[in-house]
Amino acid sequence: MKKALILLGCPESPSQTPLAVYATHKLTNMGFEVTLASTPSAMKLLEVSDPDGYYIKNKIDLESCLDTLKEGDYQLLIGFAHKDAAVSYFVTFYYILNTKSIALVFHRDAETLESFQETIKDNTEAEIVSARAYHNPTPIRVRLDRALKQLEEE
Amino acid sequence: MFCLDTYLRESEDYIIHLNRAGFKDCAKFIEKEAKKVVYIPAGAKIVGARIIGIPPVPIGLDEEKGTIMLPYTKPCYGTAVVEIPVPKEEIDLIKSLEMK
Repeated sequence: MKKALILLGCPESPSQTPLAVYATHKLTNMGFEVTLASTPSAMKLLEVSDPDGYYIKNKIDLESCLDTLKEGDYQLLIGFAHKDAAVSYFVTFYYILNTKSIALVFHRDAETLESFQETIKDNTEAEIVSARAYHNPTPIRVRLDRALKQLEEE
Repeated sequence: MFCLDTYLRESEDYIIHLNRAGFKDCAKFIEKEAKKVVYIPAGAKIVGARIIGIPPVPIGLDEEKGTIMLPYTKPCYGTAVVEIPVPKEEIDLIKSLEMK
């Protein structure tokens, strides 16, 4: 079974948790075994959002995941890149896994959003799914759907 | 074996030069202020931790003082520049990881 890793950042952005649950659901339906790597606080939000683990089957602490991660562990990386640190984490995971990757880049400020996009574009070959967004997950969800459809067709 | 997270929790012998900054600003600071700079890949393991950043990641070395200056990133706090004393073998390890 193909394995996908969803990399979560700081849970400060309200769109991250619903998008993580949504992406997990979509990828599971595409035949991926999905693992979510997150900070303890982001994990708490996931646990409350999906109390019976209906969508989220595998979770791992971000630091433990990083410590043992190696190329070949996952065939797909999807990472939230909505803060400067999240961009750095995504790029780092991209280089360790060296696999097909999708960056979900969003921010409420257009200039910051552009700078995150540029950093990822200049330093990886990851697909960039981006939108100026903060509370509303829909702009990113719509673009993520497109990217996953394209992935299915590849 | 040296462990960065444990060291920062248990010791007071370190200097935080920049705090809650962006990675690029931290990289510029290290390039400007360090005596010697070695560039390593993102995700390389040094001082018992994987280094987070945009490659090539600059690590500052001061062999005379026996310290290194490195970017230290946490998801909710951004990136800091931390200077810590390390054993000589850690400095040798960093040099061996230098990107060509």
